[in-house]
Amino acid sequence: MRFEIREHVLDNGLRVVLQPDASAPLVAVHVMYHVGSKNERAGRTGFAHLFEHLLFQGSEHVPREHHFKLIQDAGGTLNGTTWFDRTNYFETLPANELDLGLWLESDRMGFFKPGITQEKLDNQREVVKNERRQSYENRPYGLALETLLARAYDEGHPYRHPTIGYMPDIDAARLEDVHEFFDRHYGPNNATLVLVGDFDPAAALARVEAWFGEIPARPVAARPDVPVPARGGERRTLLRDRVQMPRVYLMYHSPRYADPDFEDVVLLNYLLADGNSSRLEKTLVYEKRMAADVTSFTWPTESAGMCFVVATARPGVAAADLEAEVRDVLDDLLRGGVEEEEMEGARNRARRGLLNGRAGFGDRADAIAHAAVLRGDAGYVNDAFARYGAVARADVERAAGTVLDPRGLTVLHVVPEEETDTTEGTP
Amino acid sequence: MTKPRIATPDRAVRPAPAAPRPLALPRFERHTLGNGLRVEYAERRGLPEVSLHLVLECGAGAEPPRLGGLGELTARLLTAGTPGRDAIEMARWLDRLGVGYRATVGYGVGAVSMHFLSELFEEALDFLAATILDSEFPEHEVERIRGERIDEIERQADDPATVAGLATIAELYGDGLYGRPVGGTGATVSGIGPEAVRDFHAARYRPGGALLIACGDLDRERLIAAAEARFGAWSGETAPVPPPETPEPRASDLVLIDRPGSAQSEIRVATVGVPYNTGDHHAIIVANAILGGLFNSRINLNLREDKGWTYGARSSFRFRRGAGPFVARTAVETARTGPAFEEILREIETMRTAPVTDDEMRLARNALTLSLPLQFETAVQICGKVSRQRVFGLPDDYWETYRSRIEAVTPDEVQEVCRTYLDPGRLALLAVGDAATAAPTLDGLGPVDVRPAS
Repeated sequence: MRFEIREHVLDNGLRVVLQPDASAPLVAVHVMYHVGSKNERAGRTGFAHLFEHLLFQGSEHVPREHHFKLIQDAGGTLNGTTWFDRTNYFETLPANELDLGLWLESDRMGFFKPGITQEKLDNQREVVKNERRQSYENRPYGLALETLLARAYDEGHPYRHPTIGYMPDIDAARLEDVHEFFDRHYGPNNATLVLVGDFDPAAALARVEAWFGEIPARPVAARPDVPVPARGGERRTLLRDRVQMPRVYLMYHSPRYADPDFEDVVLLNYLLADGNSSRLEKTLVYEKRMAADVTSFTWPTESAGMCFVVATARPGVAAADLEAEVRDVLDDLLRGGVEEEEMEGARNRARRGLLNGRAGFGDRADAIAHAAVLRGDAGYVNDAFARYGAVARADVERAAGTVLDPRGLTVLHVVPEEETDTTEGTP
Repeated sequence: MTKPRIATPDRAVRPAPAAPRPLALPRFERHTLGNGLRVEYAERRGLPEVSLHLVLECGAGAEPPRLGGLGELTARLLTAGTPGRDAIEMARWLDRLGVGYRATVGYGVGAVSMHFLSELFEEALDFLAATILDSEFPEHEVERIRGERIDEIERQADDPATVAGLATIAELYGDGLYGRPVGGTGATVSGIGPEAVRDFHAARYRPGGALLIACGDLDRERLIAAAEARFGAWSGETAPVPPPETPEPRASDLVLIDRPGSAQSEIRVATVGVPYNTGDHHAIIVANAILGGLFNSRINLNLREDKGWTYGARSSFRFRRGAGPFVARTAVETARTGPAFEEILREIETMRTAPVTDDEMRLARNALTLSLPLQFETAVQICGKVSRQRVFGLPDDYWETYRSRIEAVTPDEVQEVCRTYLDPGRLALLAVGDAATAAPTLDGLGPVDVRPAS
């Protein structure tokens, strides 16, 4: 299986990736800007995400509430997301509405500022604060990852704070910040446009040039330095939460997305905690019955990588005991290596996961955009299948030896609140 | 065809769409095995994947209420051991193949859904057959999974959205089927033993009444031959799980579940809705799209884009074989608990007392019908759609006629279904949040039943 990929760069620096596929009468339009929460300055955490909300509030030629309305009226879906390294905006439309997607995306790229007002900022600030409340503060274990990041990274590190941001910083955002952020980060030469679907590539490229070609390039702000933290010794922290079962988070510094060893670590995740026979599930959930669930995953970051192991205790199991058991399983793997059977399964599960994540045009456009922006290589979307298929036992053993280094480990225990301590964790 | 380059298109107007491209709805071919197992298949090449569902009449409606969760527990135990393999050996088999396998149940049916690389078709079917035909449900595995289920149920109390959802259905349906959680409660699950599981499996996992649906990179002949080879000797028949009776109409009430220190209130406005098959089905879909189904619905534009009280607000009718609930839901900052109820009630009332605008009708119509290609994009989606169509007994031409039926809905019909089904005298209002802050905002909404969170 191979997706046909054609790449172009417009004169203004906009990178365009076309992936024609006539198997459904649809087109996915995906714009990824190379800016995320890592670009935020101190006191303005959450700003990249708040800014993303504002980009749905209309632009010079698109009235407020019309962005969603026009796409739904055309039978499409849409959304946007913000992450450490990138922000994306995307819609999947009936194929005959390609121009609609290009018009909306080019208007907010080229003609955003005349549409933005204090009123829109104030409204979306409240929406985002409610998003933080709903998705983080009022959700069990919802503040765990931000607690972990704040401990794993030192003051000033661009990955130290969560994408949603801290409440006082969301409150602090001003209209001048919005203008400045747009100028610094939202030029065409800091963006990649991906189209996947039923179109003629030459015709589609002509439409892209027509809509985006007139938007002038701008100086791209210097990318923040994102150092790989030194493995200076284990770090630990604690979060009390309104939960019944403790949960243990282990976070290791890990290869970044573009690292040649990235796939090795992802396969390690698969054989550690994907499937009932995986190392951690078999031992912790099945045999010892200490954990209710266990997961392991690696974030495909542009810079410093992060590999996680997360286990939730069963009733009566203490966080410390659960952690000790998790680490025993990891130590076993480090000492004894991995077996061919678990490698075969991990490779098969990874390949199916890739396929599943590329079946829909929207998901495929997202995968292509990530590869193009964070690896500088759109073709990775194809190469990944072979790369995961080629990972050998020795690769995973070597990756495990490097990544599962206790000197680069940060541990978080989330434990149930004491009855006398019910106010912690609320605003 | 290459179009001429246009220097700068007119940005002031929405660009006109090109000629629409036809959507070829998947054509499912049907075959019934000698033992009554219905097999349906639609070819979809392109990607080397297969999506497959085995749908069985094994949902919660088939279990005795005192053993609530038996259907769910049985589905979970399908991979827990056969005569030749114990639970860990089954897991190793599945994990080595890398096949996606998930067994879930609803109130009526349950389904095993699988997704796999098409090259693994024979192996995937071997695994499926072993779980359906050969499962032994050993006592120690029943005990183990039962314990896991009880933990899961206990942990649901941590999540205010889940608490709100469960309290809402209990409010509407009492101890009727749709008032109970599909997976049972701690009390009912505790009482389930291996014999109940084996009996349930023997009674409900039968080819007559079951349905095998596949979509993807596969030959029809190969599917039928493979199904015949694995499932041909399977025998027996199961009647469809009947829908529960619609509960007697109830008066409105207001419940506040106290969860001190909550960052928000989870809010539900709900009533007993309708089954899938009603004469005004399409009008209900259009009405809900306008009220709370779309992003640009009245409830969401009001509470989110106008007031900024929430990250989002929406509503839905849960169509089932019986009358599932209508639920409008949102989560708002605690001080807005009462005002949010008032706004939702006002939007419902306005839907009942005044016709919707032509602009709203057009948006709903277009959003519902022009999105069909998106709803039938992938093999996984297509299998899910067709499963629902068969399970709920929708007409064979349901999707072929969907567009014309939605387009035929009038503003009067929209108003009429809102009058019929969204009776303000029968709405359950429920909030989960910090009662000390939320309760004073509820003045004017009637008596409040404040309950502690369990």
